[in-house]
This record gives sequence, structure tokens and C-alpha cells, in this order.
Amino acid sequence: MGRHLRTPGMALLTLGCAWVVTACAEDWLPIAPDELKLAAEPAAPGASAIYLYSQVDRNDNDPSERNYERIKILTEDGRKYADIEIPYLKGTESVGDIRARTIRPDGTILNFDGKVFDKTIVKARGVKYFAKTFAIPDVQVGSIIEYRYRHDLASGYVFNSHWILSQELYTRKAKFTLRAYGQYALTWSWPLGLPEGTKAPEEHNGTIELETANVPAFVEEDDMPPANELKYRVDFIYSDESPGKDVNAFWKRFGKQSYRRVNDFIDERRTLGQAVTQIVAAGDPPLVKLQKLYARSQQIRNVSYEHDKTEQETKREDLRAVRTSADVWNRGYGDGLQVTWLFLGLARAAGFQADPVLVSARDQYFFNARVMNSAQLNTNVVRVKLDDKDLFLDPGAAYTPFGMLPWSETAVKGLRLDKDGGDWLAMPLPAAGDSRVERHASLQLSADGELQGKLTVTYSGLEAAWRRANERDDDDTERRQFLEDQVKYAVPIGSNVKLTNTPDWSSSAPTLVAEYDLRVPGFAESAGRRLLMSVGLFGNAEKHMFERAARVHPLYFEFPYQHDDDIAIELPAGWQVSSTPSKQAKEGDVLAFSSAVDQSGSTLHLRRSLTVNIMLVQVKYYDAVRGFFQTLRASDEQQIVLTQDKEAEKH
Amino acid sequence: MNNRLCSPRTRKLKSIRPAAPVQLPALALFVACLALPGLSWASWASDAPDWLRAQISAPLPAHDQKTDAVMVYSESVLTVQADGRLKRLDRRAYRILRPEGRAHGLVRVYVDSQTRVTGLHGWCIPADGKVFEVKAKDAVESAVLGVDDGYLMSDVQTQSLQIPATEPGNLIGYEIEQELHPYAVGDEWDVQETVPVRETHYTLQLPSGWSYKAVWINSPEVAAVASGNSRWNWVVTNLEPVKIEEDMPPWRGIAARMVVSLIAPGGQELGFRSWHDLGAWYLHLASDRRNVDTEIKQKVAALTVGIPGMLGKMRALAAFVQNDIRYVGIELGIGGHQPHPAAEVLAHGYGDCKDKVTLLSAMFKELGIESYYVAINTTRGSVTTTTPPNLDFNHMIIAVAVPAAASDPALIATIAHPKLGSLLFFDPTDSLTPFGALRGGLQANFGLLISPDDGELVKLPQLSSDSNGIHRVAKMTLDADGTLHGEIQEIWSGDPAARQRFALRATTQDIDRIKPAEKVAAEALSSFHFEKAAIRNLHDAQRPFEWNYSLVADHYAKLSGGLLLLRPRILGSKSSALLEGEEPRRQPVEFDGPQRDSDEFDIALPAGFSVDELPPPIHADYGFALYQSESKVVNQVLRYTRSFEIKQLSVPTDKLDELKSLYRLIYGDERRMAVLKPAGS
Repeated sequence: MGRHLRTPGMALLTLGCAWVVTACAEDWLPIAPDELKLAAEPAAPGASAIYLYSQVDRNDNDPSERNYERIKILTEDGRKYADIEIPYLKGTESVGDIRARTIRPDGTILNFDGKVFDKTIVKARGVKYFAKTFAIPDVQVGSIIEYRYRHDLASGYVFNSHWILSQELYTRKAKFTLRAYGQYALTWSWPLGLPEGTKAPEEHNGTIELETANVPAFVEEDDMPPANELKYRVDFIYSDESPGKDVNAFWKRFGKQSYRRVNDFIDERRTLGQAVTQIVAAGDPPLVKLQKLYARSQQIRNVSYEHDKTEQETKREDLRAVRTSADVWNRGYGDGLQVTWLFLGLARAAGFQADPVLVSARDQYFFNARVMNSAQLNTNVVRVKLDDKDLFLDPGAAYTPFGMLPWSETAVKGLRLDKDGGDWLAMPLPAAGDSRVERHASLQLSADGELQGKLTVTYSGLEAAWRRANERDDDDTERRQFLEDQVKYAVPIGSNVKLTNTPDWSSSAPTLVAEYDLRVPGFAESAGRRLLMSVGLFGNAEKHMFERAARVHPLYFEFPYQHDDDIAIELPAGWQVSSTPSKQAKEGDVLAFSSAVDQSGSTLHLRRSLTVNIMLVQVKYYDAVRGFFQTLRASDEQQIVLTQDKEAEKH
Repeated sequence: MNNRLCSPRTRKLKSIRPAAPVQLPALALFVACLALPGLSWASWASDAPDWLRAQISAPLPAHDQKTDAVMVYSESVLTVQADGRLKRLDRRAYRILRPEGRAHGLVRVYVDSQTRVTGLHGWCIPADGKVFEVKAKDAVESAVLGVDDGYLMSDVQTQSLQIPATEPGNLIGYEIEQELHPYAVGDEWDVQETVPVRETHYTLQLPSGWSYKAVWINSPEVAAVASGNSRWNWVVTNLEPVKIEEDMPPWRGIAARMVVSLIAPGGQELGFRSWHDLGAWYLHLASDRRNVDTEIKQKVAALTVGIPGMLGKMRALAAFVQNDIRYVGIELGIGGHQPHPAAEVLAHGYGDCKDKVTLLSAMFKELGIESYYVAINTTRGSVTTTTPPNLDFNHMIIAVAVPAAASDPALIATIAHPKLGSLLFFDPTDSLTPFGALRGGLQANFGLLISPDDGELVKLPQLSSDSNGIHRVAKMTLDADGTLHGEIQEIWSGDPAARQRFALRATTQDIDRIKPAEKVAAEALSSFHFEKAAIRNLHDAQRPFEWNYSLVADHYAKLSGGLLLLRPRILGSKSSALLEGEEPRRQPVEFDGPQRDSDEFDIALPAGFSVDELPPPIHADYGFALYQSESKVVNQVLRYTRSFEIKQLSVPTDKLDELKSLYRLIYGDERRMAVLKPAGS
């Protein structure tokens, strides 16, 4: 579609081919009367515009695309779709044969004869990213606009491509064709399936075709899985040899090749053996040995975690290319993948049964082996057998505590490599209790309702890891601000939060501990002779979760987590507890919370625990999740009632 | 300054600052280009110029621990040539102090048809003294990106240069040389920065026989030192930064700067000597643009046929240009200032702000009504009576001479002009504010009124707070188990209504329409659902926007020890955490516009409970704002009423403690509970 740049995924040199005109429209298609009359699309209530028709005809032999769009404008806001921008790479690509017109609601037609501008978007040495822009005239609510153009792609190359069926607008009908380049093997897949009623793409004489209809508009929501996982699309991947139709055979072949490459990288027995003797003591128990190897690997300079450098900086630093694990060890640097393979080599040199595993991180897309796209296995893990248990470790993921994987590598499939090609393993998803935020506070309440005292927050597991990774490039001032903001986000507005310790930012220790002075003015509110105080001091963190009643996409949590609060509040002299709310609890395997208030002398103990033990929640369960958080918020708002002693009241 | 009218993104031609974020989706490509292998060549024999080397051991100006960088040296040299063309040299040197200071290493310079970059260099001197150097060939050119906001084409481009190794501790510097041929010849020196400045220089080199006039803004005058041969120098040292804070006046409205006017031999002052001059220049530029052709005549006739009264006809034309002429900005060369002919705008059905004004003015002319261009900067405070005449405007609206026959109390955005009579100000680009009113940002703002006889800076009217606000009325019932349910009506007028309409018009599916109401409810209620909801007057900006919904809030009142605890303020927040930062606020607070919100919440209390305690009434009048609230019980109904009125548009720094107290007072009132006890206990 004209408004989006299609990013080439892969480029292979072609030998030059003849352009074959495919099923592209040389003339405007007829307008149906119902298209003119259309005031709203029943299948897309509230839509500002819809695609009545869309067509993309691609030819990879003489690389080019012909695009045709017909859009019905349904609201004033929808008129923005008449401002067209078609990006292209000047010098290697061109955009031409642009035609456009407006069909007014009364059926009269206004052909576009205005100026098409050639706009610089980004121009640098070797890169000229331009856009053809134009405005279709006299567009009103009820108008139909249509435009078509030819986009010539870089000649001499063939690119992987996609048909994106889920567009920003509802699509009544769309047609796609791809004339494949015959010199390379082409596979195509539709990992999310196809819209209801859409037949699978079919190949006729070297051209793959697909027609679809009634495709819902794609909408963005908070807490949703990666957008790529939610859009209907067809992916086309070229390779220099056919992957064949047997999925297992494809991955076995890939596994064997990858295993050889990994083995070549770690086959440095002498160097790694000597390294092991420096890292571990002979008498160390196996687990301790492994922990030491892991910790030492993480001390290697991991260039994947360094901020981008200019060409000059890179050249001046002159880091020589790393080709083997011995290079990583001897030179003291490597990228994240290389550090993890170094650890594999060290573990084997120390006598552990350790295997390389290639996994696909789930932060951009969800891996599907049937697609047979080996590039999606984009990161690595080491599986170590210890006491008949599998440990999955990735020291190349900085700040990840021993025994855990970064969240994007959890709950995904991984290809364990061996000489026979290997097998698929499931990466573990840590339990909620492995990634916790524990808040311990010891506070005094004053008679004017102010809370003041000490707060200690302990972040553990992945809660500690992401914070360390997030702040790795920042200085102490920024990190202090970050941690203070983390607490401020959870407590009432106007609270004063001061970090008082120096947290350990550099290690991948299981916990990150932050200590604060905390002051919350007006936490207890005066109500005549009473003071009223809510039980949820840190409840603001969940206050805005799932506000909306409607939901389109599944919910996606990066990792399970647990929040535990233990707050001791010393009451002001002369005040006593009149009433406390009863214990609140909602038990469940995936979502649970409990909240309790106890009194011991003049001290109140507020305990609250929240467990979120889920990763992906289907839409049909959204109401239940929303209801759970509403109940949690209601629980946080339960009130403790304090009254003055009779004696104190007299004064 | 030489901003283009109607540009959504204002630009600073002579400004050389760290880059602001670029729009996606090209941002990734833009960033990638800055570090693209092969784009920047190492100059192994690089050396820094003497002016930069001299700063290696320069002391740093006073700064706090949050300062990310300091400007240790800056220098601007303006050379005026005898033909009026300008050459400008800018040098800057920063010491990077914190990781956030890396942003200063991205140098951006703006280019357009009046500006040519003739030299661009950047250097970094790291601790080891081995200099990095980058040049113009390493720069990335980019344009205003995207068309989502209707800004289709402009010749304004930027050249961005990434200086290597902008790490804490390192000294970086850059030098830009430009040739300028501006519409208005003159210059501005931005003396103050957002970081501390140790030493800043400005040099003016004039041809023989020329002179200058310098006006200092937001700063005491600094005397020039003549160095002979028509050369003058100014130096300022140890300047505090302008701290950027939320809801502050415009940066340029408070920063120290010097405006330089140039006077050619014979005493002719170049550029705009007065607002009158500027008005005359613009009038000439737009001289034939409002001509009425047959199509315009026919359109006016079609739009006004059958509409009784002059005001009705005026409203019909205004609504047409507001709503049916789509905003599209195409600004090339003088097109940044000059409107397209009215006939062309009508034929295309699109145009930018000055095009819309041009068409509407032509249509009014056909009705026999006079109207005038009003150039304005949409950020109030950017142009004031102390600003020397210049082109620091970014928007165009219209002033309409209201005929007696159209006089109506609904036309509130009016002033009585001594020569032109009753003038109504109207923004046809703003489709959310009705004819007769003016949005807050334009109120009490200064605009250049361009009439055939004059160009004059006029102050636009400040509307009554009654014209802007949210009025909520709730009729609710509380059950003994704490559930609250009932009907709520919200009537939104003025700017709040415009914001609500904007949010709702941008929705792309019906289920998103409830989103704004959900957000307000979620802010106040832990657990709720809407039973029904309806919107009125979404597309009719002449009428107040309305929400009508019925809502059920479970667990609204809390049971504790036999008591029922109930918050009389059901929803809607007037408080703000704006002044709760730990560092002292340095800038005044600017409100969008005057506003008066009010709530009337009735809660029928459950049988068997009586009121034991009610929140105390509040009456807080701080001059700039007034807050009042009261809870009382009549016939077992708890009635909570409150109002919050913003009376003044700006709160000066010496009143900020009062504003903070007010916000805290409101925050407390919004949380306060009524205590119900079992009847008879």
C-alpha cells in the first residue's frame, strides 16, 4: 500500500529477467452504485474510511510492484487518506505512472492533474530515501478516492516480501499476485492463518495469487502481543536451495550445519581448558563450578550491550573480528551470541554435558517451525545437564541471573543442536515467585495524616534483570531518578521519595535492593474526629490496568511476576484503631491476591500479595482479568478507621 | 525569526541546537544513516581548530548535578554584504557531563530557499586528545516527515551531523557557515540556552556606511565594543540556563536574546521597521489572492440560500471552510507565507491556514463583509508588544468586521477596534471551535492585524471562564452494600469540548468512543461498568458537547466497623501534580485558557444509615483561581457541589506556592469521605 515502506528482508543477485505484465489494472475499475451510496460499513462501525478495493501485483523478475487502492471516505477524519506519500529509495528504485481521481458522492469524477512532489525524507551518502507525495483534490465525506502507481524496485536483486492483509483500514476486497523469480527457491506461508473465507494462495504458471475480502482493520492496544503476530500476512522467502516440503528434514539439515559452525567456534580445548583452571577450583561442587563459569562469562565485555558508535569510533577502537571462542577469551570481548558460545565451550571443558540451543526470541514475533525460516532462530542458549536436570543458561544476555533466561527467550521452542541435527526443546517459563518486587516499609503516621519512614524494595529475578539492562547506559543521577520514579509511580501523588543506598547495578545478582526515605503527606484523611486510611499504599501501580471494557487482541505479559508488600505503620500517640477491613483474597492459579491488616499494639501491619502467573490471555478471558484487577483496586481502597483516645480528645 | 505561516512544526532558521526527535517511521532509517558504515570517513590526521582547543582546560560554568552538558563557548559572526546578503558563522563548544548530554553531539541546521549551508564541521576532543572530525559530507539531509497532519510538502530541510564520541567528559564543538537571503533582513542572537553558558560572543560586521540597532529582550542591555572597520562585538559570560518545565511560557518568550536591525546608507532600515511595514508587505503578497470569481460567487449563493439573517449566512460560510476545506500544507519558497488564490483553494478543496483564511475572506467579501488576515504565533507569549517586528508567526486566522445586522451575544471573541469597529476573531483551521469563539491558546495572544491601511499588533480577547468548562450532574443511589448507581450528565463547552471532540473524531471504531468516559471513570472508581452511554453534538461545534451515561460502581462506599465510608466527589479531578516535583519551580505556570468547571452530585443514601460526619466546606480564592465545595444532606440525599474557576491565564513564580497549596487542597477535598453510621447508633 502506498503509505508504507516495504522493508526488504533479503537480497540475492539475479541474472536479469524480462518484465511480464501481471494482472494489474491499466484502467480504473467500474464503480458499483452501492459503493457510491455507502455511508457506513456495517462490518467496521465507526471507521473513518475503508478500502473498497486494493491490489498489489509484484513481479520479482523485473522487480516491481503495481499498486491500486480504492478508498471510501466515511468521516471528516478519513479525508487524511487523500494525502498520499509513497516512499522509495531514489537511485535504485523509482515510482511512476501515478494516477489518481476523486469520485464525488453524486458520481461525478475529478481526475487528479496536480503536482506530484518528490520529497526528501532522508538523504545521506549512498542512501536517498525519498517519497512521492500528492494531495487528491475535492475530497468530502462520501467521496471515493482511488490511485495507482508503479514502484520499480532495485534491479539485479530479488527481495523477500510480504502481503500484509491486515491494514490500518477495513478492507472489503483485496487481490495480491506475485510473479516469482525462478532462479531461487521460494517458499510462502501465512503463519497466522488467513481471514475467514479466504482461500490459500495458489500458484498458476509461476504466479502466486490470493484474493481476500472483509479483512478487519488492525488496531493497536496496550499489552498486546507483537503486532506481527496479530496481522494476517503472507510471507515470501527466497533461498538458494529449496527447503523442500518436509519440515523435519529442513530443521535436521539446518541443525547439522549449525552444530558444525558452533563446534568450530568452541573447538579451542587448550585455551578453554586453561581458562577453566583459572576460573574454578578442583574441589568446587558442580553447581558452584557452573556458577563461576557463568559469572566469568558475563564479565567478558559484551559489545551487544554498548550504545551505537559512529564509524570513526569503531574504526579507531579497531576491535578485531572474533572468529573463535579463544578469541573471545583472549581478547576479552564478544557479542552476546559469542559470549554464550564461549560459556558453552568452558562448560564442556569443565566436564559438563552442555548443548548449544538456538531459540527464537518472542519480543518481535512468535516462532513457527513450519515456516522453515531459520533466520527466526535469532538467539542462543546453552542447555547444561546437572544432576539429571536441565539448566538453560544465556550469559550473553547481560544482567540475567544464573538459572534464568531473559524474558524474550522463555516459553519458546529451541533447537538443541547435535551432529544429527538435534531436537526441539521447550525453554522454561519462570514461576511468578522467581521475579518479585518486595516492598518492606517501616513508617510512622502523624496525627495530621502524614506517613514517614523507611522503605526497602527488593527486585528479584527478571524484575531485577530488566531494570539493570534498562539503566546500563545511565549515570548515578539518572539511575537514582529511575528508582525513585518506580516508587512514585506506585504511591499517592505528592509523595516524597529519596533513595538512600547505592544499589548494585553492575552484576547479575538475583536481587537489586533499593532503600528509600519515604514521606506521604495526607495519606490518612481526616473525617471529623476520625482518621481514614486506605490499605493500598502501593496500589497506584495497578490503578490503570485494564481500564477499558472492550478488548480486541489477547493480553500479553512479558513474564510472570509477584508483588509482595509488608508495611508496618506506627500510629500517632493518642490514636487507636477503630476498625480494619476484613482479610481480602482471591485465589487462582494464574491470578491471585491477598490483603490483610493486623494490629499489634500501636503498630498496624499491612500485607498485600499479588501474583500474575500468566503470559498470554485470550480475549475471551479478558473480562475475568479485568474483573480481577477491579477487585484488587477495590480491596486497596478498603479503609482503616482510627479514632482518638478519649484522653487525647480532651486535649 | 522567519517562521512560515501555518506550519505545524515551527522552525528556527538560525537555530543550531541538538536535534529534536524526528518523526517515525523514517526515524530508524535516519538514525541508521548517521552511523552507516562508509558514511563517515575517519580523518586520522584530524585536528581541532584553535577556538575549540582553547576550551580544553576552560573552567565550567556553575551547574547542578542534573546538568547534562554545559556550553563553554559560543560565537556567532554575522557579516552583511553591501547588497544586503548575509553570511553567518556559528561556533559552539560543549563539555558533555552526563550520558544524557550525548544529544548535544547531533547538530542540526535548517535549510530552505533562503538559506544555504556553505560549511559544516564537527569535532570531538576526548580525554586522550585524539581528535575526531566530521564534515558536511557526513551529514544526513532530511525533510519534514509524514503527511498524517496534512503537511504535505515543504522545502524546509535539515542537515544533521553526528559528532563521534560524545561521551561524558569529552569536549565537542561544531561550526556552521551559512549564506542567507531572508525576506526580512536582520538577525537575532539567542544569548541564553537550556544549559549553562560560560562565554558567548556575537560579532556584527557591516559594510562601510551601514549601521545597526540592537534591542535586548528578557535581559538588560549589553553594550557593544567597536573593534573598527564597522565591526562590533558583544560578550556575555556565565549565564544560567532556561529550565524547561511543563506548562511554562514559550522558551523564546523568556530567554535572553538580542534582535539586530540593519540600517543601510541613507538611513533606510532594512527588514521590517514596524508592524505597519510587515502588514504592508503581507498585504502586497496577498494582494490578488482574495479575488472573487464565478465559482466562489456560486458557492456562496449555494451555501447561503434560504438561510435567514446575515449571521446565519456567515456561520454557513465559516462552517464550510472549517469543515469542508481539508487542511493540506504545501509550502515552497515564498509559499511559506503567500496564500494560494481563493479560487484555487475552492477548486482543490484543500489548503493550509492562510489558504483557508483567504477563501473565507473572499466569501465574506461576496456577502459584503470586510475581513482581515491576522498572523499569530499559536504559543501565547512568543510575540508581545516588546517584540521587535518580525515574522515569528506560525499561523493565520481571520478578523471579521461584524456588521450591525449580524451582531449577536454568541459572538464573544470580539474586540472594539477604534477604526474598524467590532472585530470578530475566528480560526477557520480549527474545526472544533465554533464561529464566534476562540480557543484558549489564541486568547489574550498578540496577532498582527493586516488591514488595507495598517499592520498593527493587537491583543486578542480573553473570553469569560463561563465559555469553557465541564459541568457534571449526577443523580446516584447508594445501596447498603456500597454499590453506587445512577445517571450522569456532562456538558462540555469551549476548549474542553474541543478536546473531547478531537479525541472522539479520531476514533476508528465505535467501541473506542466510550474511551474518554472510561478514562475519567477509571481515574476515580476502582470497579465500574457503564450500563448505557450516549454522546450528543459530536459534530455540531455550535452546541455544547454532551455525555449522558448510567454507571454502576461496585464497592464504591467502604464498610468498616459498621460504618459506611463514602466519597462525595464521585469522579472528575481538578487537582494536579504539576508542582510536586522535588526541585523548585523556576518558571511561571501558563494555563491553556480561562475555565470554569462545576459538579452537582446527588447521592441518595441507603435507608438505615444516617450521616455522622461530612467533609468541611471549602472556599479558596487565590485571585488567579477560585475553588469552592460543599457537602450537605437534605432528605437522605447527600449533595456535593463544587466549582473550580481559572481566572487568570498565568501564575507568576511568586504565586506558585499558592497554586501548589490550591492543588493540594483540591486533592484533599477530592479524597475526603463522608461517614455514615447505622441510624440510631
